[in-house]
Amino acid sequence: MKSFRKILVLALSFVLTFTLAACSGGGSSEGGSSASEGGIDDSKNVKIGVLVADATGAEALAFRSYYENYIAKQYNVTFMYSDELTDAAAEASAIDNFIANNCKAIISFASSDRPAQIRKCAENKVYYAVATGTLSDEEYAEFKDNEYYVGAIGPDLATEFQAGYDMAKFYLDQGKTKFAIFGGATPYYTDMHIYRTAGMLVAMCEAGGGTYNGASDFGSMIGKIYEMNCQLEPAKIGSVEVVSYIGGYDFDDAWFGKLAEAANNPNVEVLLTVGSGLDTFAAFKQESQQLATVDSYTSDAVAAMKSGVLNYLAGKYSASIGPIFMATLSAVQGKPIRTANGEALALSQGYWVATSAEEAEKFYAVDSSTEDPAYTRAMLDTLFGASYDDFAKFVSAYSFEEIQNLKK
Amino acid sequence: MDNEKILKREKLRRMLFSFAPAAGLVILFALFMAFAIAQDINIPYSLKNILNQSVIVIVVATGAIFIYTLGSFDISLGANMCVSALIGAMVYGRTESLVMMLGACIASAVIISLTCSVLASVFNLPVFVTTIAMLSLLNAAVLMLIGANGTGDIIQVPAEAVSSINTIQFKLFVLLAYLAVCVFAFSFLKLGRQEKFMGGNPVCAALSGLNNSKLAICAFALAGLGVGLGAFLTITYAPTLSRNTAGSVGMDVIISIVFGGMPVSGGARSRIYSASIGALSMTLLSQIMLMMNLNSGISQMVKAVIFLLVVFISMNDGRKTILPR
Repeated sequence: MKSFRKILVLALSFVLTFTLAACSGGGSSEGGSSASEGGIDDSKNVKIGVLVADATGAEALAFRSYYENYIAKQYNVTFMYSDELTDAAAEASAIDNFIANNCKAIISFASSDRPAQIRKCAENKVYYAVATGTLSDEEYAEFKDNEYYVGAIGPDLATEFQAGYDMAKFYLDQGKTKFAIFGGATPYYTDMHIYRTAGMLVAMCEAGGGTYNGASDFGSMIGKIYEMNCQLEPAKIGSVEVVSYIGGYDFDDAWFGKLAEAANNPNVEVLLTVGSGLDTFAAFKQESQQLATVDSYTSDAVAAMKSGVLNYLAGKYSASIGPIFMATLSAVQGKPIRTANGEALALSQGYWVATSAEEAEKFYAVDSSTEDPAYTRAMLDTLFGASYDDFAKFVSAYSFEEIQNLKK
Repeated sequence: MDNEKILKREKLRRMLFSFAPAAGLVILFALFMAFAIAQDINIPYSLKNILNQSVIVIVVATGAIFIYTLGSFDISLGANMCVSALIGAMVYGRTESLVMMLGACIASAVIISLTCSVLASVFNLPVFVTTIAMLSLLNAAVLMLIGANGTGDIIQVPAEAVSSINTIQFKLFVLLAYLAVCVFAFSFLKLGRQEKFMGGNPVCAALSGLNNSKLAICAFALAGLGVGLGAFLTITYAPTLSRNTAGSVGMDVIISIVFGGMPVSGGARSRIYSASIGALSMTLLSQIMLMMNLNSGISQMVKAVIFLLVVFISMNDGRKTILPR
């Protein structure tokens, strides 16, 4: 027994040692070639910290893959990733870790307390950028002149509203009138999901000729949702009906029960989701129903579209975080991209929308490529030290076709 | 072999085991410094960072040692801290007084903590059972408090209000003051000895006239004080609070206590400094892995393997024929 214990201790120690040894060799290359033609200095390795609120979701993994499997191989940069951050204290700790490890910039996917993140970075002279998101108007007003705030590129709230609106309208135009809505993090006051839900409801008000608890347009619908403390309910909207509404991410039996009940309701024709469509309704969806979601282009999503489980996908593409990387690198290397007034970037990007398996497959093939992704180095290099107008023009051409044209 | 020799060898072994956690900390610190120098990282900032990241766990875990010494544990520490921090922030919102905020954090944490032990006494249940029930209650309370405050999904204290006390000096002051109270209570008062006796052998302790309920109430009160201070320090470090605030504290406390060499069964071999050593060791280990740029999955695996090793070694130490002395 004694020798067995010794062997066990030794085995565990070996596992530990080899794990550490194997993994410590994975850093990026130091040195390398000197400044490229575009003016990027590739001779010095730049450490960039990445704050993540989701470390395992398909979208998060796709973004990470683009940075680690494409960007880090093309440029002399090292990405340091945080653990999954769930609160403001964890974000602050992660930023402290990055600063201690000499990160020159931080790109953030975490949003528990963005103002605190920006302040901490600015105090320590570290550049800060928001990936796939935007600041509120008040926050932007506070930080737009801060030289260490690079900016934000991602779907703004108007784009989120439009995404929900377009999704519902797609089915309303086909004559569908009975809907179930999954509101995602709406009960947690998550703006992104609130605006997508509002977009769906406004489209229904227009098509059905009614109101949702008295609200029917953009402004009044957002106000109504907040007035209801983001706890929405099923309702008749003229000739259209929200038969069922489920919000939150409880992941308990009661929550799954509600999802199943909504999908099993024979009246429901379309299942609209502000996100996580495959995690929520896919298992319960009836063949006669349609399922639509906002998500990302993954192999699972494409397979679901092929099999008919998923019918509408508004997806972020993983390379959409390429321009914010280049804006950050530009700032670190002394060529910040600012407006004519010296203000930080605040640019919106939309989604790629697939309504058929063929489209989804086409998008996924480009999106998942680590050799020839949507934004290649050649394309991103044109943004280094670019004028604000050129940069904004590049970012605003976000549709699949526009990006393919830019490549040519 | 005669008895004296066995006793001597056992004493030496015990001494080695008792110094093992501290030695582990020293080794981790040496490793950290070696990596830091090799990678030319910002050492002063890193050291400040290590203290910043350890201080809250040390405070909460040191209080929790009193509970663990009794052979019990409190699974609701993180949720208690979250509720206390939210109440503290709400009190600040109404009074704009940091002193009131501190008072609210401590009062709510102590009341919640005491409720656990009192309920256990009233219903004659093991204390950890009531802490499981309390965990559910507190999680519901978090959502209710956030909803009641009417500020979306967060409760905020203005960053400017706490910036003056968000300093290492202040945190060290709070930490050392609390540690002094705990060390005094654990090592120089009857309380510590009685708790060790109760944790080591509850039947003998009860037959000797010790009252388990009273000891549990004292332990939970002191742990509550730590949780309250932890809640206050959390607000000073990150004044935006949400339902996820302090979500990892409960687990960090358990890991730190075990890492610091505290036996999970409590009793005579309990040490008040285990939490400090364990929390610092854990933070150093995390920093080393960060410098190696390991992804978080591998980091978790490494921590898990080390955790298993530590528990294995500490359990091995406790299964000898000679009683602790």
